[in-house]
Amino acid sequence: MYDFDWSSIPGALPFLWEGMKISLEITLVAVIVGILWGTLLALMRLSGISPLAYFAAGYVNLFRSIPLVMVLLWFFLIVPQFMQAVLGLAPTADTRLVSAMMGFALFESAYYAEIIRAGIQSVPKGQVAAAYALGMTYGQAMRLVVLPQAFRNMLPLLLTQAIILFQDTSLVYVSALADFFGAAYKVGDRDGRLVELLLFAGAVYFVLCYGASYAVKRLQRRVSA
Amino acid sequence: MISIRRVSKFYGDFQVLADCSTEVKKGEVVVICGPSGSGKSTLIKCVNGLEPFQSGEIVVDDVSVGGPKTDLPKLRSRVGMVFQHFELFPHMTIAENLIIAQTRVLGRRPNEAMDKGLKLLERVGLTAHAEKYPGELSGGQQQRVAIARALSMNPICMLFDERTSALDPEMINEVLEVMVKLAQEGMTMMVVTHEMEFARKVARRVVFMDEGRIVEDARTEEFFGAPRSERAQQFLSKILHH
Ligand SMILES: Nc1ncnc2c1ncn2[C@@H]1O[C@H](COP(=O)(O)OP(=O)(O)OP(=O)(O)O)[C@@H](O)[C@H]1O
Ligand SMILES: [Mg+2]
Repeated sequence: MYDFDWSSIPGALPFLWEGMKISLEITLVAVIVGILWGTLLALMRLSGISPLAYFAAGYVNLFRSIPLVMVLLWFFLIVPQFMQAVLGLAPTADTRLVSAMMGFALFESAYYAEIIRAGIQSVPKGQVAAAYALGMTYGQAMRLVVLPQAFRNMLPLLLTQAIILFQDTSLVYVSALADFFGAAYKVGDRDGRLVELLLFAGAVYFVLCYGASYAVKRLQRRVSA
Repeated sequence: MISIRRVSKFYGDFQVLADCSTEVKKGEVVVICGPSGSGKSTLIKCVNGLEPFQSGEIVVDDVSVGGPKTDLPKLRSRVGMVFQHFELFPHMTIAENLIIAQTRVLGRRPNEAMDKGLKLLERVGLTAHAEKYPGELSGGQQQRVAIARALSMNPICMLFDERTSALDPEMINEVLEVMVKLAQEGMTMMVVTHEMEFARKVARRVVFMDEGRIVEDARTEEFFGAPRSERAQQFLSKILHH
């Protein structure tokens, strides 16, 4: 029988918390950039202007057809060189966090774009007609009438996607960046207590994500009521 | 004020409007009626450029609607429209529905727009509902808010689209009262409706459409007295006996 020993966890909590902060930072940046860029992509795709629509469709299909972990690896390899070349950063500078944020943001934009596109299409055409009939421009009709309704309808889906994204941040372990999962792994490896640390990390992920999903469900019930 | 000349429109191969011509002079009310699917909604949506058309010309207050240089948003801001399904903005309160275009399109100050909105709400008898959302109102109440919203822009004319039948009679009366008053004040209106009482009371002419064509365009007395076309006669006897 395996002998559980949880004693290395209390002392490691500050380090684990640092990791959690990195996970949350990446999630936050990727959700914000993903929704902004995703909204633009969705508008391009629905614009009826072929070059824009093709670009957006190509972008979305490309990112939805590659594994996330590969995208992340590319960004870990490309972004440092890019930043050295353009910003004149020293080759030793640690750009892993920035790389991770960019990789997630650009990847998640493709998923957000699809959610937002469906959300925009869920707003009845008559609403746009009514906005136009009052003299609004395309931009005003989108900003004041369509997008607020679309986002209200989509809010549960957008939040659910954010929860999935939070779980996926653990993939940054490929760059040895100490996010929450990475930090737990490092502590477990150092103390020879990998099983305990991973069980603990799993429990934390479960509590956070399950709690958040539950909150989203309640919100959904309130929105649709 | 509104002049429609030989307008035709197609959805692919399907011709929705065939060579339609009619005219609404300043201060006139013209009622459009006809069976479901005859193209009534499509015709009035062409008037403010919500639907493009392939041939013919529509001129509103000396502006050609389909013209290449026409500032459509500006023209539309001067033409009030009430939709068949009202199309109030469901994420805004009634007050916000009445204010948004005044401030964003006309550039009125918020308190000025609010005053105007509340006055119009009083006019349609819904002052108590300013802070409610459209979903909390009945169909007839929503329709009156839609009228108030269109009036908030100080339109030079109104386009009014009504569904064939849906509202209960009591509601219809509240809405008609508002519209009759508007007509009596001299508002230029193109009204799609099957309320023949309304047509009798205020319309200068009645336009009867069938399968995309204007089959009959007659002075109201003549239309009710002796419609020339057989289709119009059938149509009239059917709706008058309901
Ligand atoms: N976007 C569209 N694509 C193809 N056909 C359409 C489209 N919109 C309307 N039609 C068709 O055009 C015809 C005229 O429609 P329209 O809505 O103008 O009729 P209507 O006279 O207003 O009818 P109702 O009394 O039911 O409101 C109908 O046969 C309809 O099916
Ligand atoms: Mg119609």
